[in-house]
Amino acid sequence: MTPFVAERESAPAVPTLTARQPRAIHSALTVLECVAALGAGVTAREISDALKLPRATTYRLLNLLVEDEYLVRTPDLAGFALGAKVTQLAAVASPVRITTAARLVLAETRSALRGGVHLVLYDHGRVMVADADPDFPLSDELRLVREPARYALGRLAYLESGAHDDITRAAAADLARYGATRQLGENTPGTACVARPIRDVDGRLAAAIGFSGPLRRAQEPEEVLTVLRGAAERLAPLLT
Amino acid sequence: MTALERAIARPDPVSDFGSRSPLHGLARRSVGFFDVLAQSVSAVAPSAAATTVVLLVAGVEPSATVPAVLLAGILSLFVAQTVSQFARRFAATGALYTYAVRGLGPVPGLAAGAAIIVGYAAIAMFALLGGAYYTSMLLGALWPAVHGPGAIAGTLLAEALLLVLVLVRGIRISSRVALVVEAVSVAIIAALLVALLVRMGPIDPSVLLPADGVSLATVGAGALVALTAFVGFESAATLGVEARTPLRTVPRAIAWTVLVSAVLYLLAAVTQVAGFAAIDGSIADSASPINELSAAFGLGGWGVLADVGIAASFLACAIGSATALTRVVFTMARDGVVPKAIGRTHRRWGTPTGALIVCLPVIVLVPLALVLAGVDIRAAMHVTIALGGAGYIVAYVLVCVAAPVFLRRIGELTVGGALMALFSAAALTAALAAFFIVDAAGGGAVVWLAVAVAMAATGAIAWRLRGGRRLPERIGTYDEPIATQVLGGVPRADQAAGGDTVRG
Repeated sequence: MTPFVAERESAPAVPTLTARQPRAIHSALTVLECVAALGAGVTAREISDALKLPRATTYRLLNLLVEDEYLVRTPDLAGFALGAKVTQLAAVASPVRITTAARLVLAETRSALRGGVHLVLYDHGRVMVADADPDFPLSDELRLVREPARYALGRLAYLESGAHDDITRAAAADLARYGATRQLGENTPGTACVARPIRDVDGRLAAAIGFSGPLRRAQEPEEVLTVLRGAAERLAPLLT
Repeated sequence: MTALERAIARPDPVSDFGSRSPLHGLARRSVGFFDVLAQSVSAVAPSAAATTVVLLVAGVEPSATVPAVLLAGILSLFVAQTVSQFARRFAATGALYTYAVRGLGPVPGLAAGAAIIVGYAAIAMFALLGGAYYTSMLLGALWPAVHGPGAIAGTLLAEALLLVLVLVRGIRISSRVALVVEAVSVAIIAALLVALLVRMGPIDPSVLLPADGVSLATVGAGALVALTAFVGFESAATLGVEARTPLRTVPRAIAWTVLVSAVLYLLAAVTQVAGFAAIDGSIADSASPINELSAAFGLGGWGVLADVGIAASFLACAIGSATALTRVVFTMARDGVVPKAIGRTHRRWGTPTGALIVCLPVIVLVPLALVLAGVDIRAAMHVTIALGGAGYIVAYVLVCVAAPVFLRRIGELTVGGALMALFSAAALTAALAAFFIVDAAGGGAVVWLAVAVAMAATGAIAWRLRGGRRLPERIGTYDEPIATQVLGGVPRADQAAGGDTVRG
């Protein structure tokens, strides 16, 4: 469990914690740990007994974790199971390793484009940051993992989730027109992103290379895309 | 490697969950906190109630107004906390109906459902009538040709048209319209009240406290009238499926609705009581206290603005109550309590069209028929709000009794939660009894109408269960987490074969 705590506290994008919260995070992770150990369907009372936490505290922690979907209640409402969202804790905690050849391609791409160039991998619809540009850091790595629909790199995964809304319609149109998804200053005014998918031999989405920079260069993305397309083509055999 | 890391790396299959929610078809997770807040605030209609109900409370005993409003606010907060015991644990569009089913079983659950349906429907009718009354009054001031039942029926129809339009077109539109309209009306009324207070200057605090010889029972009687101004705060729960992170936003919206309403009512009570004390008038004898105070303190033109705010608040109330009503009826259809066809939803807009087709004609045609039949609009408003208030309070009582039973069943009962729920149930029952006694003593028709409606509901429930006809096994459906939301989730066998998409 310590790696999660350490990572969360050292990650730059995590919202600032007030003095009382680190303890609460510790308790919350202890509860998640307990549900993982005791298995799906464990009740609040069993958790409270196992952790020797006061009942009311346990109930409050459980309800908070259910609100955030790190836990879900079983259909009879009495038991708890781990939510799919707990994988995001691991997504931030465990760095993904990529080959030196892929790193070289990224370095060349970065010198060709003035702006941030990032590489992400996808695993079962989950976004994992493999190599973020050290000179132009991702605006919010945790949020990219949590709310993929808000980012160009996340929208590629969001499109595959089967959702149907305004975002997927716009993203599908971009993908058809440019072979890439875009985010046009929706999170930070004036800053936009373009993401080019990298697919495996079966055509499944495996990774993506993203550019972030001034809005203008994403509104007329041809210049950026010429570089990204070449990079994606060279990265594909190195990643899949 | 810890258990959590192991679980994430190699999840154990969990097959307790379905591939889609039983409440699929609504626009799932599409509105944020402020839209959810707008839903319950508009169902309460605080700016309309701040002027009308405070006058009724003052009618009991003017000097008891402020303490009575405070008392009613505290009781409402207790009920809100108890309702949130459910709302924090699962998202259910059936709200009080589903909560009562989950706590007490099908028959008390259906009783709560019938009560809250009467509550939402009657308040929606009341709001349409009120909106038509104030709007036609405002229009009449501009064009004297506009008057009489014809004008009221015309404005009523126009309002109904708008109501149908926003409700069919989707929750994002209807909640946003309710949000804007309600925000404008609360802002107008609050600004007017603050302006009046500023004009009035320093207040003698003793006028706000019960005068000598005013008993606690009188304050209690005032509080039960004031309670009717708060009902509707729970209706945020009916957006359980449509709200983003409902388990967080719904309880928060419920609590904030009570707080916003309480602050506005206290402001209105203090302003009116102190205002009439300052001009040596009698608030209880005043027909339109805000207008009279505005005139007395040199804010004459503002009275019209207040009427605009009140008319807007009534419109938002009609939208909010109708939204809540249709969600409850929709849930009953999904439960198999009423015909399944009523549980249909619109493919694109995600609105409960089946429930809309059943509910909207009733809440539009009843008030229209009353107006056209020549019933005095104020009398019609009095009957609908009293009946609606009674429906709400019956449902609240059942849910407050259900809460400790439910919490005990899932093993999460706390002493504080149980005490709060049982105290609320007792206080609400007393309030309801007192309400009926007062109404009957006044020769009111409401108590008999309520009895007739209750008997009709009992008949309907008995008919539904006739000859031991069983209810579907899983009555009390809520927005269950779906398999993809669970670590290692594998869809339940009974649903996996359908290959349903997880649209919602």
